Amino acid sequence: MADEDYNDMDMGYEDEPVEADIEEGVEEDVENNNNNNEDIPDPLLGDDEEKEEQKTVQKDRKTSKYMTKYERARILGTRALQISMNAPVMVELEGETDPLEIAMKELRERKIPFTIRRYLPDGSYEDWGVDELIVEDSWKRQVGGD
Amino acid sequence: MHLKYSARKRAADELKYGHIVERHLEDGDIVLFNRQPSLHRMSIMSHRARVMPWRTLRFNESVCNPYNADFDGDEMNMHVPQTEEARTEALTLMGVQNNLCTPKNGEILVASTQDFITSSFLITRKDTFYDRAAFSLMCSYMGDAMDPVDLPTPALIKPIELWTGKQLFSVLARPHAQMKVFLNLTVLEKNYSKSGETMCPNDGFVYFRNSELICGQLGKATVGNGNKDGLFSVLLRDYNVHAAASCMNRLAKLSARWIGNHGFSIGIDDVQPGELLNQQKKARIDEGYEKCDDLIREHIKGNIELPPGSDSALTLEAEISKVLNNIRETTANVCMKELHWRNSPLIMSQCGSKGSPINISQMIACVGQQSVGGRRAPNGFIDRSLPHFPRKCKTPSAKGFVANSFYSGLTATEFFFHTMGGREGLVDTAVKTADTGYMSRRLIKALEDLSVQYDYTVRNASGGVVQFLYGDDGMDPAKMEGKDGVPLNLERLYMKIRATCPANAHENLSPSEALKKVYERLEKPDISLDGANKFKNSLRDFFEGVTDSLKKTRKFLDLDENNVEKNDPSFLEKIAANVSGISLKQLEVFLDTCIDRYHLKRIEAGAPIGVIGAQSIGEPGTQMTLKTFHFAGVASMNITLGVPRIKEIINGAKNISTPIITAELESKENVTSARIVKGRIEKTVLGEVAKSIKMELTSRQASIVVSLDAERIQALHLSISADSVKRSILQNLKKLKDQHIRTIDGRKIRIFPPETDRNKLHFDLHSLKAMLPKVIVNGISTAERVVISEQKKKYKLLVEGKNLRAVMGTPGVVGCETVSNHITEVEETLGIEAARDRIIYEIQETMKGHGMSIDMRHMMLLADLMTYRGEVLGITRFGIQKMKESVLMLASFEKTADHLFNASFNGRHDNIEGVGGFWFQPPKNTTPRRSTPVNQGNPWQETMTLMSPSLPSGVNYLYGKLVK
Repeated sequence: MADEDYNDMDMGYEDEPVEADIEEGVEEDVENNNNNNEDIPDPLLGDDEEKEEQKTVQKDRKTSKYMTKYERARILGTRALQISMNAPVMVELEGETDPLEIAMKELRERKIPFTIRRYLPDGSYEDWGVDELIVEDSWKRQVGGD
Repeated sequence: MHLKYSARKRAADELKYGHIVERHLEDGDIVLFNRQPSLHRMSIMSHRARVMPWRTLRFNESVCNPYNADFDGDEMNMHVPQTEEARTEALTLMGVQNNLCTPKNGEILVASTQDFITSSFLITRKDTFYDRAAFSLMCSYMGDAMDPVDLPTPALIKPIELWTGKQLFSVLARPHAQMKVFLNLTVLEKNYSKSGETMCPNDGFVYFRNSELICGQLGKATVGNGNKDGLFSVLLRDYNVHAAASCMNRLAKLSARWIGNHGFSIGIDDVQPGELLNQQKKARIDEGYEKCDDLIREHIKGNIELPPGSDSALTLEAEISKVLNNIRETTANVCMKELHWRNSPLIMSQCGSKGSPINISQMIACVGQQSVGGRRAPNGFIDRSLPHFPRKCKTPSAKGFVANSFYSGLTATEFFFHTMGGREGLVDTAVKTADTGYMSRRLIKALEDLSVQYDYTVRNASGGVVQFLYGDDGMDPAKMEGKDGVPLNLERLYMKIRATCPANAHENLSPSEALKKVYERLEKPDISLDGANKFKNSLRDFFEGVTDSLKKTRKFLDLDENNVEKNDPSFLEKIAANVSGISLKQLEVFLDTCIDRYHLKRIEAGAPIGVIGAQSIGEPGTQMTLKTFHFAGVASMNITLGVPRIKEIINGAKNISTPIITAELESKENVTSARIVKGRIEKTVLGEVAKSIKMELTSRQASIVVSLDAERIQALHLSISADSVKRSILQNLKKLKDQHIRTIDGRKIRIFPPETDRNKLHFDLHSLKAMLPKVIVNGISTAERVVISEQKKKYKLLVEGKNLRAVMGTPGVVGCETVSNHITEVEETLGIEAARDRIIYEIQETMKGHGMSIDMRHMMLLADLMTYRGEVLGITRFGIQKMKESVLMLASFEKTADHLFNASFNGRHDNIEGVGGFWFQPPKNTTPRRSTPVNQGNPWQETMTLMSPSLPSGVNYLYGKLVK
């Protein structure tokens, strides 16, 4: 287990935006330097996209465009259960066998075919596709001790 | 079936379809790990199991803190989740990696402890050098020799290559060049000399720049828990969980192996006092004893100088205690100075891994005064503490001063006094666990159903709004980086940006340009959320500070924006840029980082913030020593502190033990006016200002003559005259009429008894005489005592007592700034919002008094819950009854049978909305999770219900029979 841990360790940083060479300071990369989350698009841009998409489907949605950790846990759990019960997998397996890991991979590639129905306190709800939500990718290297 | 004992082969043969075969635990399985008492959510976390021989549970020492575990026989529990969903939830919500920080205040909780800190400290000592073999060995320690490591350039090349211990920590932070971790931080360690920064002679200024340890000897502040700017916190915030966790792991492996080889232990020679120390100690003790004897002699003679408001015995005790504490302190100082730098206890106390200077000096030099209930040892025998001493003896040794050290050994009486002190400690812990436990339970019960909804309101289970925006800014306390719960530590972030993306050839912005860019960015709509204003303002203020310093630098270098066209300022420009310049790119990166992070730090919808808040207030309670009283500055004013005070506040008590009103004065710098106002407020009775109250019996008439003490009245700045006294007597003693009192001159009053019956006259006279000294002639009747407190030449009044309204209305007092610590009184006087404010402030202050910091947002939530009904409700069974509607929830708290009986008698409904009700009937559509029906419209498009506020709305409970 420990070995695995350490072989994979770099993986954790793989998605870390490429750091500018300190001495040269290439700006394009530098910008990403502290933005750990590649998946976060420009917040402004994100807003516009949503509106365009949603105009046909639904009126403005007002809840956060970030997926909460509770939503993530529920989605991954349900999806992992489905996968463990032989549901067709939406991504390349690449030798992966653990249902949870597969579910995480699916989420990373935004291939989980779920819609989240967010109920507001007044009983109305908003539907958000999993692919529309921004996921904070803190799941890196949480699975795979075996 | 047990595989060890029964016939496995046969069992395998008999397997049929439908049998469930349970497998053993394997490496990599997800398990839940828990230690009682589970005081906060980090008491149960999910780990990955590693199956090892023998029968103990083993884990990384870095998680000792959240579990509050040690290895003196602790028992812990382990659970293995059985379904895919349970596993996922355990891993994503309860995983150790996701709980590195406590939601109490955002400090890191999972961090290195004890030996790990000690070895970091030893390795990074200034004079440690390692040759190639040793250095590479240590590098391979930290990654099980499986990690790629890039050796740094050796610090010394000739005569042999040598690396410093600090370089090892550069490797630890960033083992190889491919790893994109650029750690930037500065930490002040415990032994920092308070000036000189990187040139600190004690090497207490830790400075990491781009993952290189520039200077500083690592200790608890950098590597341990309870710090927001430590190494692991910074890794966690600037990079990710994995960066912090793997770095922690490297340190754990390195340190466990290194210290195993290096060896670190305590021997008797570590606690042997030197010759000099013994001499010094003897001198100090003799000197102190001498002083005490003098004081006692003075006391017996009765000419001890008294501070206002205390008697001779009290003063003597205070003085003696001062002297004795002084003895202990000075000997402790000598002792610490004398210790060799290799002394193990000294090392441990310096780096903060275990023990304090007091512990060390108690072992080596002098144990010091033992106290019971905050005083010196009480008299258990007649007029003496033990029969070994003469009666009424007040010498240090007779009252529990232990002059010996643990090394030299205590005398019999000293030992006995020490056990007295020790017993108090034991009793305290026993009592307070029960107290705080019950407090925690009530808090949880009151707050259990509060959670953040998708519209960021905080509501209870029945949908009632408690807060419109959690904590007024909707931020998650667990993710706060700055002090006092602000989202970001801008200074540190700015430093990091300047270090990681250097401006080099790029144009620097002029101060005004930079400021303009900032304002432009802040106008963009992506930070127009509710509650973002505070954050925006902090950013703006920060940048105004930055540009100000830039302006100053430029001015210093003669580079004012007004005269840039001076010839060839380029080299000066460069200097200015290096000192405090910022390039466009840097500015953009900085702002974007700040804003991105700000967005990620919002509280997530669905967060059970009520329970988190209750735990965050309840858990520190268990750590508070039950020390009730505390001397606040002048003239020994007692204020209830600790658990009892928290209890008072939370209970919404009508009568608190030490109500204190803090009154600001109109003229703050004037003592005389402070005294005059004090005279107006403080309760003064006739007995205090009268020179004499005498009966005069003549043959014709009987009367009482009161003569006032004019000097005293003058000295106390009271406005009392014979007439005013007459008025107050008339008010207080109703049976007296105007004609019964006659003022003779300015300071004499004659009172005639109203009784006409000659037989009763004598008794009447006596009862009148007994009542007269208690007549209040001046001040507010509830203000028992008023103390003038001085802080930096500013005076204010501390009024011991109630009646805030009267104090506020007293001339000379600034009513708007006058506050009371009595919550219900504030509510009655100033209203519910003021009461809410006081609750927040008082809890915060009490916690601060015990050195504990708790995020404001938790207190706000508690205060809001206590006040959202329009009156202050205590967190007691009566208050909770008014807060909640659910009968089942109330029944699950206290008086179960009563609630159920009443509910069934009245035919009440309960929709079972909150967790409290689930105890009686779990919601149908969520348990068991496995049976959740999948929406079958499109088999691969599932709609899920998350966070419905009325989850089991189908289930209605009706109690008993329907009455009607």
